[in-house]
Amino acid sequence: MSLSTLPKFKAAVAARPAELEQARKNGRKVVGWLNYNTPEEIIHALGLIPVQLGIGGDDKLVDLGGSFISTKNCVYVRETVGLFAENKNPLVALSDIIAVDATCLQIYRVAELIEYYFKRDVVILDVPKNPTTSEGRTYFQKEVAAFARVLGEKTGTKLGTAALQKSIDLYREIRATVQEIYRYQAVATPVITWREVRDVIHARYSLDPVLYLQLVKELRDELHVLAGATPYLEDSPEVRIMISGSILPPGDNKLIQLIESNGGRIVVDDTWSGLVPFLYVDVKAPTPEAVAEAYLERVPHGALPHLDLKSDRRLKLQHELVKEYHVDGVIYHTLRYCDPYTFKANETKELLKQIKIPLLEIHTEYAGSDIEAIRTRAEAFIELLRNRRKKFGQQKPKAAAVA
Amino acid sequence: MSTATFPHPPALGRAATGINRKPPPFQYPEEIKADFLKTRDIVFQDGRRVTAAEVWDFMTIEAPKRFPNAFSQSTNFGGRLSQDVRLFSSLKRGYLSLTLKDRLAESRKKGVPIVLVQGGQSYEPYFAAGAIPLRPGVIIGWARGQQEGLNLRQNDVRGNDILEHGRRTITIEACNQIAAHAAVAEGIVDVDLIAPYLCLRCSDMAYLVETHRNKQKEHPLHLVDHPISRNNPEGGVDYVAEGLHKLVEQIDKLTGRKTTDEQLRAAIRQRNRSHQLSRKLVHLLWQADVLPLNGSDLRAASVQFDSAGDTTASFGVLEELYDEVTERIKNGVRGQGLSERPKRLFVSGSCVGANSAQVEDQGAVVVGHDDGWSQICVDVQEEGDPYKNLARSILSFPYELSTEARAKWTAEQVRQSRADGILFMYNWGCNYQTGVARMLADAVKKETGLPTLTLEVGELARSEGVEQTANRVESFIEML
Repeated sequence: MSLSTLPKFKAAVAARPAELEQARKNGRKVVGWLNYNTPEEIIHALGLIPVQLGIGGDDKLVDLGGSFISTKNCVYVRETVGLFAENKNPLVALSDIIAVDATCLQIYRVAELIEYYFKRDVVILDVPKNPTTSEGRTYFQKEVAAFARVLGEKTGTKLGTAALQKSIDLYREIRATVQEIYRYQAVATPVITWREVRDVIHARYSLDPVLYLQLVKELRDELHVLAGATPYLEDSPEVRIMISGSILPPGDNKLIQLIESNGGRIVVDDTWSGLVPFLYVDVKAPTPEAVAEAYLERVPHGALPHLDLKSDRRLKLQHELVKEYHVDGVIYHTLRYCDPYTFKANETKELLKQIKIPLLEIHTEYAGSDIEAIRTRAEAFIELLRNRRKKFGQQKPKAAAVA
Repeated sequence: MSTATFPHPPALGRAATGINRKPPPFQYPEEIKADFLKTRDIVFQDGRRVTAAEVWDFMTIEAPKRFPNAFSQSTNFGGRLSQDVRLFSSLKRGYLSLTLKDRLAESRKKGVPIVLVQGGQSYEPYFAAGAIPLRPGVIIGWARGQQEGLNLRQNDVRGNDILEHGRRTITIEACNQIAAHAAVAEGIVDVDLIAPYLCLRCSDMAYLVETHRNKQKEHPLHLVDHPISRNNPEGGVDYVAEGLHKLVEQIDKLTGRKTTDEQLRAAIRQRNRSHQLSRKLVHLLWQADVLPLNGSDLRAASVQFDSAGDTTASFGVLEELYDEVTERIKNGVRGQGLSERPKRLFVSGSCVGANSAQVEDQGAVVVGHDDGWSQICVDVQEEGDPYKNLARSILSFPYELSTEARAKWTAEQVRQSRADGILFMYNWGCNYQTGVARMLADAVKKETGLPTLTLEVGELARSEGVEQTANRVESFIEML
C-alpha cells in the first residue's frame, strides 16, 4: 500500500535548498548543527533557520575528510569533514553558522578542523560528561544560555520568551507526532515500513519545522485512516530486529539493506539518528535553562558516561523497547573507532543475554569491502533467530523474561 | 665553552652492540659508588629517610635480581634506566620507580587509598586528601612488576597478556591504558578508587572508567569533567571546582578524615614550588650551549615525576638534578650518549615519546614534549578558594585548550627549545589526538617553518615490534 503523504516529504526535501537560498537572500541566517544535544528550539526561537548536518555512507567523502583528520577517526566524522571540504552538500554550503554540541568529542574536533581549514563560523555548545550531577546540570544550563546569547550576538537577534514558548510548543508537537508514527511500522501488518519512517525522521534535518509538523500530522492522519488510531504492537511471523549502537545517518543504508535482504524485519532502533531524540523531551518553561534541563532528561547519548549501571537510562530504554516491540534479536552496529558505542558492546551483549535476547555486533565502516562478510553474519544471525522462533513458537524466550 | 667529558661507560646502542648481540644487563660501576654515597638522603612525605648507601645497595644488589627487565640495555626498551651514571639523581629516580611496588604495599597497610587517575594532569587534591594517585602508565608498570625476576622479554609478554585481555574484554580499539583498567578489573593490582580528571587529550578514559560499573569488584567511580566552555568560562570553573570538591569528599570517605582547604593550599604550594623549579631547569637546559642531559633524563626534568608516588621525594630528586645540571653547564659537560651537535627534536602528542636511545644513536636528541610539560607551565594561584584556583589552572593547561591555542603555545616551546624538527606522535586508539594530528602539525609548521612528522605509535610500553617507528624517526632525523 502506498501512502500519499510520503512523496510530499521527498518533494519538500528536494525543494528545500532553493528555499534556503531565497531565505538567505531575504536576510535570514541558516544555522547548521551537528551532534545530539543542540537545542533546535533556541535556534528557531531566535528567528534563525535550523538544519541538521551530517550524512553517511559515502566513501569518497570519507576519503576526502581523511586527508584533514586521521583514518583512526570514525567514518561519520571523516565524512562530515569531507562534506565541509567539498562544500557541495546544500545544507553545508548554505549554513551561515555551524553549531556543534560537544556530546561526542570527535565531533568537537571536527568543529576545530572546519574552523581552521574551511574558515567556518562555529559556535560550540559544551555538554557535561557528568550530566546527572547537580553541577553538571547547572553547567549545561549556563552553556545553553551562553549558546543563545552568542548566537544572538552573531546574528543580531535576541531570544524572547514568547518566541521561545512558541518554538517549544512546535517541537513538542513534532516529537509527539513522530513518536506516534513510529509505532505504525512495528505492528503485525504495517502500512508503513521502518525504513520509510526513518526517511520521515531524516526529512526533519532540512525541512522548516512548521512545514515538517504539517507533513507529519498529515501522515499521522493518513495512518489513522488506514490502520486505526491506536497501533497495537504485537508479535509477527518475521524475525523482528532492533538496531542499536552507533549513528546511522541519512545515506548509511548498508547494514539496513543486508538485514532486510536476509529476511530480517527492523522494527525499532535506539540510535541517536533515529527514534531516541524524539523521546522524553519536556521543556517546562520558556527559558534556556528549562530547555537545557529537558535535553539532559532525554535518553543520554553513549558518549556521556554513566557510572551506575542500574540507573542507566540508555540501557533501560533499550530493554523497554525490546519488550514493547517484540524484538527477537539486536543487531548492534558499531562504526570502527566509534568509542562511545564500541566500548559498550560487550556489556550490552551480556545484559541482553540475561533477558535471553541475542546480540550480534557488526563492526564496520562505509566501504563496501566487508559487505559479504556482514551478509554472512547477518544471515546466520537471522537464521538463528528464525530457528529459535520455530523451536519456541509463541513461547519464545524474550518479552516474558524482560525485567 | 669547552666540552669536558666524564668517564661514561661506552654507549651500547644498536651500532655498538650489533643486531644479534644481546647487550649485558646494565650495572652501576663500582667506581662511582664513593661519590654517590656522598649524596643526599631521599626524604619521603612521612618523614622517612633513605640514605644514599641504601639506594646504592637496592639498585646494585636487590633490584637487578627482582626486576632484571629494568636493567636491560636493549635500545628497543624505551623505559630503560638512564645510563648517565654520573647523574646521581637519575639513579635515585630509578630507585623511586623500582621501590614503588613495596611502598604502595606499605601505604595500603596503613590505609592510604590508591587512586587510578589520568595522566598529564596535576594531582594536588589526591595528595592533599592523603591518597596516592597513579596514572595508567604507572599502574601498568605496577601490574607487570607483581611478578618479579622477569627479563625484558618475559616482562613484555606479561604486559601484552594483560593488555590483550583488556582488549578482548572491552574493545580492540582502546589505547594501551586499557591494560591498567584490565589489571585493576582482574585484581592483578587493586586500587581503592577510580577517579580521574577527564581532559581533551584522551578519548578513552571516560569510557574505560564506565566499564568498571559491571565488574565483580565494585570500585567507587568518579569523574572530574573537563568542560570546553568557550562561551561560559566561569561556568566551567564552577563545574570543575565542584567536581574536585566531590573528588576530595570521595577520598575522605575512604580515609575517614576531612581534608581542609589549608591542606589543599599546602599541596598547591608544594606543586608550584616543584613546577617552578622544573621550568627553571628546563629553560636552563634549552639555553645551554652543550646539552648536559640526554633525552631520557631531560624528559624526567620536564614532567611531573609521578611514578614516585610521593611528592616530597620526587621534589628532593628534582632539586638534586637541578644542582647537577647547573654544575654540568658550568663545566660544559655533555649528556651521556649525545653526539657533539645533535639535531633537536620536539615531540608533541599524548602518552608517547620517541625512544631516546634510538634517537641519540642517530645523532639527534629529544629536547621537549608538550604532554606533561603543559601542566608544568601553569601555576595555581595560592590565595583564595583552592578548588576554584585549581579549576582555573586545570582549564588553562595549554595542551587542553583549543587546538589553535595549543598549537601557538607548542610553537613557542619549539622556538624556546631551539628544536630543528617536530614529531607529532599519538598512540593507537587515541581518537582525540588523531583528530587534530594534522591540524596541530600544520599550525605549528606555519608558525615555526620547521619540518614535522606525524606518527602513530602502536607499541607503547613494549620492546618488540618497534622497528616501524624507529625506521620512520630515523628517516626524519636523516632528513633533518
